[in-house]
Amino acid sequence: MAIGLTLTYLTTKVPNFAYGSFVTIGIYSSLSLYSLYGISPYGALPLAFLLGSMSSAGMYLGILRILARRGSSLVSLMIATLAIDIGFVGVFGLYSDYLYTAFRIIYATNFPQLPGDFSLFGVPGIVFAAPYSLVLTTLCLFALLTETKFGVAMRASIENPALAKVLGINVEAVYIFAWIIAGGFAAMSGAYYSLWLPGGIDVGSKLIVEIFASSVLGGLASIYGAALGGVIIGASEILITTAGVDVFGSSVGIYQKGIPLIFMIITLLVLPEGLISIKVGKVLRWTRMLPWIKLKSLLRLRGGN
Amino acid sequence: MFGTDIVTFSVDLLIIYAIYLVVSLTLNLEAGYSGIPNFGKAMFVAGGAAAAGSVSGRLSALLVGINVSGDYSNNVPLIINKLNATLSANPILSVEILLLGVALAAGIGAALGYLASYPAIRLREDYLGMLLLASAQFFQIFLRSYPPVIGGVQGIEIPDFFGWANTGVGTRDVVILGVVTLFAVSVYVYFEKIARSPLGRTLRAIRDNEVASRALGKDDVAMRKRVIVVASAISGMAGALLTFYVESVGPDTWSRQDWTFPFWVIIIMGGAANNSGVAIGAFTYAFLLKAIDKGKFLFQGILPSTTFNYLQYIAFASLLILVLALRSEGILPEKPSFTLKRDTIANLLQTKPIAAEQNPDDSPLKKKN
Repeated sequence: MAIGLTLTYLTTKVPNFAYGSFVTIGIYSSLSLYSLYGISPYGALPLAFLLGSMSSAGMYLGILRILARRGSSLVSLMIATLAIDIGFVGVFGLYSDYLYTAFRIIYATNFPQLPGDFSLFGVPGIVFAAPYSLVLTTLCLFALLTETKFGVAMRASIENPALAKVLGINVEAVYIFAWIIAGGFAAMSGAYYSLWLPGGIDVGSKLIVEIFASSVLGGLASIYGAALGGVIIGASEILITTAGVDVFGSSVGIYQKGIPLIFMIITLLVLPEGLISIKVGKVLRWTRMLPWIKLKSLLRLRGGN
Repeated sequence: MFGTDIVTFSVDLLIIYAIYLVVSLTLNLEAGYSGIPNFGKAMFVAGGAAAAGSVSGRLSALLVGINVSGDYSNNVPLIINKLNATLSANPILSVEILLLGVALAAGIGAALGYLASYPAIRLREDYLGMLLLASAQFFQIFLRSYPPVIGGVQGIEIPDFFGWANTGVGTRDVVILGVVTLFAVSVYVYFEKIARSPLGRTLRAIRDNEVASRALGKDDVAMRKRVIVVASAISGMAGALLTFYVESVGPDTWSRQDWTFPFWVIIIMGGAANNSGVAIGAFTYAFLLKAIDKGKFLFQGILPSTTFNYLQYIAFASLLILVLALRSEGILPEKPSFTLKRDTIANLLQTKPIAAEQNPDDSPLKKKN
């Protein structure tokens, strides 16, 4: 999810508050296919991708691009995305009302995890499917961005749109593609999400905080950072909460959703560019220097030349 | 059906309008005049409401002499009638606790604002917006999960501190209307005075060009801190008054779509940095809100009542985007800064330059030889 958010940020420089709702699109695709046709959420992945990417592209083309062309400020664009998010919640609400009146599905506004997962070695399949999908996606993106002509064009458009246009790259097409992928990824995450966690009309809206924390932690301008950040935030939420419950008792459980917030605050104060800005070379050189420094001081003490 | 109904509808509408107006004005001060994108408004209003609700109830139980053996939240339904009866008989006590509740709400609001001001100074707009949004969301989760504050998931009932006004039909509501109107008018006058003062011009200067205003010696950090603290304190007070009006407080009210987003719609629709515009916007919003409520009532059997809430979200979201696209200044655009009247300037010109001509060495510019 964080990868997609970073993609939308890199292209438009506007944090997309409606991104969470693309995830909800995926969740509702799974719910619909499952309740109406009995298809497992894995089967909903293509539909989710389609709907998510279309909504994402629609949002970019229909609203953000138009507003940006009219010279709206950053804050105005942010508010527009916020408005779109709330509009989406309304749409999901109407859809679940429709499911209720037309098909008598009563739990559409708030439903538990969907069954339909496969089992591998006695563990739910999603435990393997989700991480592998993440690795696969990141690798594919990496391959796309470095090996293919289009991928290189994409990197150029993100780093310097004006120059890319001069070179004849269709920057708008690149941006639309980025938004399509972003929306599609979000919706697919939504399909996975519905297998593991309860769903509802504002699940995505609430998730946006954690998605943002992941992107910020990794570095809002880096796609790989986003992947890293997502994994760290996701893991820490569970690990830190479990550890906390062991130490302080179950009352600590409510603060689970505060963990991404704390991560975000710390990142913004200490490392505003995100983890990706830590220059690994510098750190390594620093640690490599230590034994040399010790050796030098030893030699000097011995009166060596 | 329309006789007394329209009066109660109007009174209710005006009370809600006053409260929405106050919160919108504070957001206008933060975002419209000072450029601070407060996407977490709900937190400050909720903080005030929670503070007023939880403390005033407990305090009245204490003063009336009821012992809840440490578990206030669960005992509220049992003691609330007795509390109401005692408070109705004691107007002075009611008013005292009321004022204390509002003051405490202001304090908590200010404290939350102070906490929020640290990131506000350091962060760029997009990060700041995200951080405030996240804080507000977490605050709501905290209220829901930590029962000692306002009873966790179900919320708590608040004793009626206006019970002494129940002398006739609906007089309690009219008294509340008087109180909130007084509050709203004071806030409006206060904010208008700020807007037209040098302080207002400074805030707008900081909003438009931080570097230039700093170069001219304006301390944008201190200004922003003050703005957020004051705006949050007043929002807290509005939350407290709302709590006292509806006689209950719960965590589910303070969601992003209900207590942050509407105020942004109002200031953008009405006109950011223009308090009269915001007043119009707030009335429009409050009216539409209450009208939709009535609409729900009419369509009761045909559509589920939640449909109207969802349509409301879609409608206001579309409205906001339309306004941003077609008339981003809002209904009443921002007026240019008010300066001195022409006659005053003419008078000044008549006296000052003569002094400068007579004493050229008094000129502020240093002449180089």
